[in-house]
Amino acid sequence: MSTFIDAFTFDSLVWDWIIAVYLFLAGMSAGMVMIAIYLKRNVIEGDPAANGIIKATGILAPFGIISGLVILIFHLTKPLSFWKIMIFYNTSSVMSMGVILFQVYMVVLFAWLAVIYKKPISDLLKSLFAGKFSFVSTIIDRVAKFTGALEIFLAILAVLLAAYTGFLLSALKTYPLLNNPALPILFLFSSLSSGAAACLLMGVAYFKQPLSCKSVKWIHHFERPVVLFELFILFTFFSGLIFGGGQKEIAAMAAIGSGFWAIWFWAGVIGLGMLMPLALNTLVPAQARHNSQFIVLVTSLSLIGVLMLRTFILYAGQMTVV
Amino acid sequence: MDCTRRSLLISAGAVIFTTGVSQSAFGKKALVGTLEDGDKRYGMVFDETACIGCTACTDACRTVNNVPEGQSRLEIVRSEPMGEYPNVTYQFNRVSCQHCDNAPCVHVCPTGAAYTDAATGIVDVTADKCVGCGYCLAACPYQVRFFHEETKSADKCNFCRDTNLKAGKLPACVESCPTKALVFGDLNDPNSQINKVISSNAVYRDKVTLGTEPKLYKIPDSKGEIQG
Repeated sequence: MSTFIDAFTFDSLVWDWIIAVYLFLAGMSAGMVMIAIYLKRNVIEGDPAANGIIKATGILAPFGIISGLVILIFHLTKPLSFWKIMIFYNTSSVMSMGVILFQVYMVVLFAWLAVIYKKPISDLLKSLFAGKFSFVSTIIDRVAKFTGALEIFLAILAVLLAAYTGFLLSALKTYPLLNNPALPILFLFSSLSSGAAACLLMGVAYFKQPLSCKSVKWIHHFERPVVLFELFILFTFFSGLIFGGGQKEIAAMAAIGSGFWAIWFWAGVIGLGMLMPLALNTLVPAQARHNSQFIVLVTSLSLIGVLMLRTFILYAGQMTVV
Repeated sequence: MDCTRRSLLISAGAVIFTTGVSQSAFGKKALVGTLEDGDKRYGMVFDETACIGCTACTDACRTVNNVPEGQSRLEIVRSEPMGEYPNVTYQFNRVSCQHCDNAPCVHVCPTGAAYTDAATGIVDVTADKCVGCGYCLAACPYQVRFFHEETKSADKCNFCRDTNLKAGKLPACVESCPTKALVFGDLNDPNSQINKVISSNAVYRDKVTLGTEPKLYKIPDSKGEIQG
């Protein structure tokens, strides 16, 4: 029990698990947006608004970013002063640049979703306010003329957002494990992995997108290389630290060598979150895989794995000071 | 309308790319903010050979700067006992803000609440601007920042800039030290006492390899290895 408490409370710890949840939610939002934009542009035939994966993105991507930012605000020591972070900027601060990024991302995300769901939005406004808000449809129509450019811009913002969660931590000279150039790349791919899992989980299990459709199949094919590449980045990440020697090596060994966080990493992040889904998708016969319970199981494992990875990086990262 | 909306989005993107990335990555002036051309560059010397670990400095600091009980802007850390009884000695180390010329806390602060005072080179905090995100607490490699229990802002040593220094006195820790283990002064003034102490003693600074350019110098204890 004392090891459990020690693992979550130590002197050099500044950011706790709430930040890990925020990193997870922001990453998931960005990952879903990247995947949904690709599917809409290249895979989906017919009306994208009717596709379960686009619907899932329409709900979970805004939910992820908004709930992530809300818990972040309440994590400040002065939550009511949060607006100051939107008034004062510091160009050398990764967090400050992230604040700009978040705001642009949310505006563009809502604009993009509004174009896709223009019809239900206009219908709803008509039935509720009897034409008083018809200008909303006019605005959406005007934005819709730039859908192509808007999508590409949003995709770039999503990539930046996913990587941003890594840059936020890699800017910290204090902690050798976090002060690592591979961290933004790792978080970008873990974001894609959680995005794919969330798209499938909600798209298939809730919105009943058929498993045989092209978009679901595409995500299925996409998942495996992403997880394999993530494993490779993790290997690079820790071998780089160990080769670096000194405090870097000490930090790496403290994280994955032994103790609470090493068990968390090997059993949870690697075993449960990466190898289990890989094995299930490879070994289970095709017929058994074609049901939604199987999808729920595999995608839940992936999502738990990504949340565990973010928590692991945050805590294990702050254990060793330079 | 189309044009303005579009140009707004483009310029917002441009803000992230040009201001953010280029300023921090390529703008040397912003990253290596050395203040050698400033009016004053206040620094401090801590003499490990003179410190007896009485912690009068810690108490004086807390009183002068209204630091709540249980929190501290500076700490005197005592080593494990060295030698065999009856010849046991200790080494003492000062842990406090190093007033880096290239301060990581200032670079990461999203609101600019953490700043370097251009006139004195002192790293300070504007409590009103601080939102309490904790980025500076994490970014400081010397781990000397904390959240003040009353103001909820990030807090740390500011060489008594708004208290003793403002009143024309030396910082509280320097004033209270019974063994004169602390020397405070202007590093830009070649004739200052601090520069004389630095030039006539072997000194070191903590974690210089990080490029933080700290202004807290230490005269090492005469025995044992220097753990810089």
